[in-house]
Amino acid sequence: MKARTARILCAAFACWLLPACSQWRYDLGVPLDNLEIPPQNTALAEVLQRLGPPLRISATDTGFVLAWEHWHVREDSAGFSLGALGADFLSADWGDMRINGEFLLLTFDRQHLLTSATHSTWDNHGGGGQAIQPLFGFVSVVDVDDITDVMPQHRWGKSLLQPLPGTLNNASSLDSGQSGLQQRGTPTAAGQQSLGMD
Amino acid sequence: MKRTAVPAALMLSVILLAGCAQFESKRGVEVNWQSTVTAQLVNGQSTRRDVLALLGPPSQVIALDGESALYYLFEHSEGEGLILVLYNRMRIDTRYDRAIFFLIKTTS
Repeated sequence: MKARTARILCAAFACWLLPACSQWRYDLGVPLDNLEIPPQNTALAEVLQRLGPPLRISATDTGFVLAWEHWHVREDSAGFSLGALGADFLSADWGDMRINGEFLLLTFDRQHLLTSATHSTWDNHGGGGQAIQPLFGFVSVVDVDDITDVMPQHRWGKSLLQPLPGTLNNASSLDSGQSGLQQRGTPTAAGQQSLGMD
Repeated sequence: MKRTAVPAALMLSVILLAGCAQFESKRGVEVNWQSTVTAQLVNGQSTRRDVLALLGPPSQVIALDGESALYYLFEHSEGEGLILVLYNRMRIDTRYDRAIFFLIKTTS
């Protein structure tokens, strides 16, 4: 009886120490199944009828660009922490991320005719790591926030209410729909959005 | 006994408070920048269609005043650190692959 109780207590204690095992799966957009890239000079109306509404849109100097995308992000993490004992004394973490998806970019001229089209698919290791950290969590071993961010259209309303560097750069922001567009997960430390100091 | 207790406690603290971390992150559009790839593009002649057909969708399509740019960005970060609470050392090595193509208005 005592051995059984001890086993149950051990199992309960182990469960108590393992509060941070998680698997996250993100599906962003819908797969571009049976994709047939329209030929050059196809009219915009026909493209929209074929592909449906685009997820990204922007004006350019020669017309405009439309993009469709699908992302599948797989984030796995495991760890244990002694925080349950009343003090965040020690944590051990492991994390891994895999990203796959596809992106279709179409450019149109001002006469609403298709001028170029390109499509890409990928299945990449997005990052990961492991850490043993005492007292404080210094390092996040896996982070998908920049990949799973909301579409820029959701931020159009508050684009002029950002901190000053972002507001000053708003006219050139690739999220505004006026100055181009960018893919998810584009590095923030280089390129156009570095001016916003995100 | 007291003489050994202090070093032992110190050593135990060091062991218990020591930590380490290792991580990596990859972001952006990874393009194989071999010279055989870029050699297929010619200054003043290649069009937006040529670049997109060769390299796929860029990280950023940037509309400039009377021109546009295709910006391919790839970031690879590797970090490792030693955490001793009172002394912590992190080393993060970030490399960028970058290529930008400026397209004048006449190119489609």
